[in-house]
Formats: sequence, structure tokens, C-alpha cells
Amino acid sequence: MFLDINVGHLTELLTGRTLNRREIAFRVAERVEQYQDEGLARGDRVLVCYGNNLEFFIDLLAVWHLGASFVPIDGRLSAFEVENLARAVRPRFILVDSKADNSITTAITAAGAKVITPPRNVSKQAHSVAMPFNSRTRLDDEALILFTSGSTGTPKGVVHTHRSLRARWIALRESLGVQSYDRTLCLLPTHFGHGLICNCLFPWLSGLDLYIAPAFSTDFLMQLGHLIDDHKITFLSSVPSMWGLTLKASKPPQSQSLRRIHCGSAPLGAHLWKQIQEWAGTREVFNAYGITETGSWVAGTTVGDFVPEDGLIGIPWGAVIRILSSREPAAAFDLDSPCKTEETGYVWINTAALMQGYDGQQQLTDEVMSGGWFLTGDVGLIDQRGWLYLKGREREEINKGGTKIYPQDIDAVVERFEHTREVCTFGIADPLYGQNVAMAVVLKNDDAITIRALHGWMKRHLAEFKMPIRWYILDSFPPNARGKISRRVVQESCAQRAPLDLQKILRAQP
Amino acid sequence: MDREKQKNELIGFLRTIQRPDYPLDEIDENLGLTESGLIDSLALLQIITYLEQTYDVDFREKGIDPGELRSVRTILDLIAREIAT
Repeated sequence: MFLDINVGHLTELLTGRTLNRREIAFRVAERVEQYQDEGLARGDRVLVCYGNNLEFFIDLLAVWHLGASFVPIDGRLSAFEVENLARAVRPRFILVDSKADNSITTAITAAGAKVITPPRNVSKQAHSVAMPFNSRTRLDDEALILFTSGSTGTPKGVVHTHRSLRARWIALRESLGVQSYDRTLCLLPTHFGHGLICNCLFPWLSGLDLYIAPAFSTDFLMQLGHLIDDHKITFLSSVPSMWGLTLKASKPPQSQSLRRIHCGSAPLGAHLWKQIQEWAGTREVFNAYGITETGSWVAGTTVGDFVPEDGLIGIPWGAVIRILSSREPAAAFDLDSPCKTEETGYVWINTAALMQGYDGQQQLTDEVMSGGWFLTGDVGLIDQRGWLYLKGREREEINKGGTKIYPQDIDAVVERFEHTREVCTFGIADPLYGQNVAMAVVLKNDDAITIRALHGWMKRHLAEFKMPIRWYILDSFPPNARGKISRRVVQESCAQRAPLDLQKILRAQP
Repeated sequence: MDREKQKNELIGFLRTIQRPDYPLDEIDENLGLTESGLIDSLALLQIITYLEQTYDVDFREKGIDPGELRSVRTILDLIAREIAT
């Protein structure tokens, strides 16, 4: 057995449901039997439309036991997006929560997939059942697919094998130890790398206890201090946008149980960093740098004499990091052209935890992976001490409070609207989330009826959190110096204009 | 300031932070502010800041029950309690 199935206890904070190791083993065995009856076999995939509950983790182990791959997706996606992902994944079946909207199950059925709704009642009749022996899984089998973009077009699914995931957990154990993670709290979504691979699975599969909260729940954030005290939480990970509300509304924890906090998925400024340290009563607040493709956390500040600074990441955790002046894949082999110390360039990472590739997209994979090296899309430098600093990002993603939104996904939906000529989605500064979504569009008709119809079209096809909060209706897009449409140029042009009063138009709906 | 005036000012403020694509002519006192989608969940931070600045409430000191920010009515009740103390 190569998976560390010495799991810790699981507790769901919303309901108070909890499972000990024996009960987990029993539940996994139950699910294995059920999914075997459904024909699940090695090499199959299971799409999972929920997360942040006990069933999610039971299902994960059951699916892995049978040698299949687990594909969790964001439960907030629209029916259109779920159907699109289902068509790309071609799963043996799709697990849907009993609370899911009917439109989701209808869309899944339309994609030709079978829907299963696992029961939620926790059986307490746990016999003496050992954790199922993981006999069907091989180290290089596909274990996890995490979608980073393309929910409305060609999905970009990051494929991790058991080998790459195990490499990440071993690297973290060697770099960070496990002493701080005895009682880990997860407030992050379990469908993305940071929340799942590192916040949850790293401690839980090391035999430590995991407390699961609903993702980004404001109720929990406003009570975080109490939550930490009540459950003697020793560790939690976070994204910067969570802390605004917590620092304002939650009393600091009093029990001194908290040993470490990680913050990642978005830039952590020095000021906020120090505020978190003060609130938590510990200096052990680390800016954890990670990318889904590298199995998330790949570098950070570890114990030592550091002062929070803007852009400071720290040292690699189970990886080699190079700053190169080129972003071409061949550059990874050109050892003569690294940037000098403190010279800014492209951040490349070599780690045993690197993904297998993007599902079914070899060309896209080849653009970012070369000989074990991965082009992160970040720009940074390494200082005299060997510490990594990030200076910017080359990717087009919009980082809305740690949730990555890809402008192309929104463009793809708007382009399909019958009255659209051109569309360009871009990020704007947002006081709550760091960034938010804005959209410029050129319409064949830009009357109120058409705008309302476009809004309705987007609501049907896009998850709520991807909806642009600012709209600009333009006659045409300004081209860049090469005569092409550039998001940056459109964004700069819109910054000089007043956005559409969308609320007024929608309120005037007949 | 009487409750009606507090309510009007609060609703005026909520209008400035509500989601741009949420069409609503009137905000009912019992409407769940985030559950209904009128405001984004993290915008609760802006309501807290509004209460701090307008009514001098120090939430960092006293903490906050999330239920107190659920609707216009619960926020007005919170204001009444703060003024009374």
C-alpha cells in the first residue's frame, strides 16, 4: 500500500458530524462496494460536484481505492459549465449533492453521464473494518484532475498522479514537519489545489485531524477566533481576502492553540501579514506560494528571522526554483542564461510534484513544461540569501480573492450571444477581493432590451462569482500598436470612461 | 436619530454597495442581505466599517454574531443595542 491511509479524524463544523478512523474505514468500505457495483474500475474518472463535507473525503478514498481518478469541481458552476466539464472528463459517473439544483442533474444527464447522490447520514454501526487495502492503484495512475480554466470552452484540467501528490506531501513533511498540523482547519474550497492537496490532504493523510468548514463562509470567518479556541485548532491556511472580515469582526483566539497559519493563492502585503501575526498571536504566519500544477505549496517563509515584506515568498519547499530571462521551454535547459542574483525574470520550478500535464492538451502542456521544469507565469527574483520574491504575474487570470477567473471563460460565453460583435473581459482593482471582473463589449444593438438579454444569457451560462461587476459598452475596441485587441489597452481605455448603469437598466425591466 | 432615519440611511448605504446587477426597487427589512444576493458576502466588511464610522462600534473589541448582520432589521436592532449601551 503506497498511500498513507493512516487518516486522522474528520469533523464537519457546519453540522458537528464527526468520524473517527474506524468509522472512516467503514464508510470507505461501504462506498467501495457501492461504486464497484456501479462498474467503477481502474482508469475511470469520477466527477464530484460538491466539497467541504465528510462525504467528499470518504468518496476520495473510495475512488482511489478502486484505481479511479477523482475530479472535484466548483459547486458554484452553472449547469452549462458543469455539462461542458462533464463532456470533457467523460466520467464513469458524477457525484451530486442532494441539495444540488435540478438544472445541474439535467445538464449532466444531457452530457450522457450517470448521476449518483451519496447518502449523507453517517452510519455509526462501524464494525472492526480495516482501511481497504489499496491494491488496484499504481503510483503513476491518474489520481486527481483539477480544473483551472476553460469551464465554458476547452477545459484546462491539471492532471496529478499518485506519484506527484505523494511527492508534494513528502516534500512538505521534510520542509515543514507535521508537528503544527495536529488539528487542521480548512476554510478553503476543496476543489482547488491549495485547499485540497495542501490544507486538507497533507495533514489528514499524515494521520492528523481535519476540521472542515464551508468554503469562505463569512459566518465562520466572523467567528474564527472562537472556532480556533473551541476546537483547539493548531493550523489553518487562508487567502488574503479572508482576513479583512476576520480582523474586523472576530475576536482574536485566546487559547494559544494556534501554531501556524499559511496564506496563499494571492499576493500577501506586508501590512496585512503583520496584522495577521498580531491577531493570531504568532509570528508563524507564512506566505505560501503554490500553483495547482506544482501540487500547490512549493515555497514559503519558514521559521527564521524574517520580517514580512511585500512580494516576499522565501525558500523552496521540495523544489528547485530558477529565475530565467526567457519564457521559452528550451530555456529550462540553458543553464548559462539564468538571471543574476536580484535580477527580475521568469520563475521556473522543478519539482517531483509537478503535474503529469493538462488533460488532453499536449500543446498547452509543452508550452509550460520542459524536462521537469515548469514555467509558472510569475515574474520574480532571488536575493542574496536565496529567498524568492514575486514581482508580478504574466498570466491573464483575474485573482478574485484567491479564486482564479479566466477572462477567456467569460469572453467565450459573451461571444456566443447573438448580438455580440466583440468582447474583452479584464480585471479591475477591488477593495474587498484585490481584483474583480469587468467587461467591455461591442454590441450590434446596444439598447436596453439587448443589454438585459445579454445579462440573462450570461446568468444562465456563468457561475455567479464570474459575472462582471462593471460593464462598458463601446462602439469599437482600441487596437494596440500592432493593430490587435489587447486586454491591457481596452482596460486602460475603459478606465477613462463611466461604466454602464446596469442596475438602472435591469430595474427598468418591463 | 430615530429608527426610521437610521433605516433610510442604512438602505442608502446598502444601495452604494449592492451588486450592480441586482434589480430591486425596495429593500425589505427582513430580506437576507447576502442570502438574497443583494450584496456580496465579503461586503459585510463594508457594513461593519459603516457601523464603526457612523455609530462608533468597536467590533474588534466585542466581536460580532453573524446573525446581527443578516438583514436591515437585525442591523437596526444592533444599532439600537449599541446606542442603548
